Amino acid sequence: MIEIKDLDIDLGEFRLRDVNLSIDEGEIFVILGPSGAGKTVLLETVVGFFPPKRGSIILNGNLANDLPPERRNIGFIFQDYALFPHLTVRENILFGTRYRQIDDVEEKFDKIVTTLSINNILHRYSKTLSGGEQQRVSLARALIMEPGLLLFDEPLSSLDERVREGLRDELRIILKKMKQTSLFVTHDQTEALVIADRIGVMYDGRIVQIGKPEEIFNTPVNEYVASFVGVETVLEGKVASYLDGLVVVDVNRVKIEVVADVPVGERVLLGIRPENVTLSVVRERKSSSARNNFIAKVIKLTPLGAVVKVNLDCGFPLVALITKQSVEEIGLEEKEEAVVSFKATAVHVIRQ
Amino acid sequence: MKFKRVNAMYYIFSLMGGLLILFILLPILRSFLAQTPSILIKEATDKGVQEAIFNSVFLAVVSATIAALFGVPLAYILARKKFFGKSFIESIVDLPLAIPHTVAGILLLFVFGRYGMVGVLFERFFSLRFVGTKLGIIVAMLFVSLPFMVNYAREGFEMVDVRLEQVASTLGATPFEVFRRVSLPLAIRGVLTGWVLTWARAISEFGAVIILAYHPMTAPIKVYDVFTQLDLKHSSAVAVLFLVICLAGFVIFRFLAFGGIGKSGKR
Repeated sequence: MIEIKDLDIDLGEFRLRDVNLSIDEGEIFVILGPSGAGKTVLLETVVGFFPPKRGSIILNGNLANDLPPERRNIGFIFQDYALFPHLTVRENILFGTRYRQIDDVEEKFDKIVTTLSINNILHRYSKTLSGGEQQRVSLARALIMEPGLLLFDEPLSSLDERVREGLRDELRIILKKMKQTSLFVTHDQTEALVIADRIGVMYDGRIVQIGKPEEIFNTPVNEYVASFVGVETVLEGKVASYLDGLVVVDVNRVKIEVVADVPVGERVLLGIRPENVTLSVVRERKSSSARNNFIAKVIKLTPLGAVVKVNLDCGFPLVALITKQSVEEIGLEEKEEAVVSFKATAVHVIRQ
Repeated sequence: MKFKRVNAMYYIFSLMGGLLILFILLPILRSFLAQTPSILIKEATDKGVQEAIFNSVFLAVVSATIAALFGVPLAYILARKKFFGKSFIESIVDLPLAIPHTVAGILLLFVFGRYGMVGVLFERFFSLRFVGTKLGIIVAMLFVSLPFMVNYAREGFEMVDVRLEQVASTLGATPFEVFRRVSLPLAIRGVLTGWVLTWARAISEFGAVIILAYHPMTAPIKVYDVFTQLDLKHSSAVAVLFLVICLAGFVIFRFLAFGGIGKSGKR
């Protein structure tokens, strides 16, 4: 278990105050905050590149404040991966294994490179690798050391969008499979939602809210958290049936269809972005390719410039974002009913 | 290239640069052409000349290596650490470049001479003298050439991404292991360039060397010696022989350092 207590950091223009958090064995903790909030500085202090001004960093019951980085057994995945350019992929991965007693290194090496599907690039040098490959190699290099804590500094931000989404889901699966305790920083709300067991929202050098993803997204503690995490709807549910990649999730006895690969009975979180929800009025209900269609009650209309935020109740709370013109055309009004539609592919599914 | 822009400036700059290159090459070529074969052979087979050339080459290798041994650690500290008085230290490293060489020789005599403090210590404990010995030649060569070693190695280290060193430390490497397995291999070009230029500077030293040791002779002193004892013809023969050795050494070392003489040392 990792504990960070009353941590203050002063480093140039970055000031962090009263950072308190603990991470359980095997948990993925995500710090979510805007760029320039001091997230990287926090990681660099935890790993030991800089001393904190005040407070303690406790690794499995031992105070780590005075240990140099090489004796903390904390892994670090840099934003640009920092692979050693003069070494091959294999040499990169095995770099640290001579410094720490690791049982069955060869066996472990094989297992990790297979899990990360990098078996066929082991002889290559980093400058010939794609961003996604570099990311996997740096992950392998850190994982083989069996770190007590693995830190990630926005590791997906330098990848292009398509690669990023695939890797994001895969990263969580791998970390969970290896039971790797992790601290992850990002400014991307969806990334936090998909990867985290728990999220800490950072603002102005402080952690303002810590909670499970659904708590952060559904019950933000203040205006700042609300505006930063956005209005994505997060729902908790249980898989009721599974057929050919189409999963039916039971949320408060309402069935939502999603595209995912999750066995029946498992608990999942669903994330629905408000811009992916379409609304129509009841009497004009038509057949549509969207798998999810519900009759909902309009709770509240909030104009936000060109768009209007619509809070709905479909047996579960849902937020939609539609244009002002649409609101007028379909004659949407508070306390009236409307038909809500969203596609099965528009739902983020997060396995617990 | 489809879009070709010819500008008069480039012609003028090329012409000016070309003159400079010619200024270097012309005396070298002219000296080769001025040789009388019989004198060249006489000097080439002269034992004193051979010894002087060997001394120059070998002692320059020794002093460049000593410069590397002590200069690389200093370069690493200067590249990586901030500390009070750092720019003062950097100025001191460059100081030998600004000191006239005969003056450098006189200064060294104060410390390494028979009554200088290091001279006395070495005489008492190791029975070694600097004045009139190869040791003295090494000291003189080292003093005037070490700035090249420190500065080029430092540039090499500065080009290594600090994050690579940081990630190595998170993988359990101690500072020395980080230096040995990450920083040094990645800065090796800078270090080798520094070594070659230090060697080249050391082998060409005359002023400081002649004050500490006229004998045993190095090649530049032999050239001067033959010039004053005999004539230009004989001394130019020694000069050309030495020049060939220097150029060969320079080419070989550059080749080892950069993997080709055509390429530039800098990227």
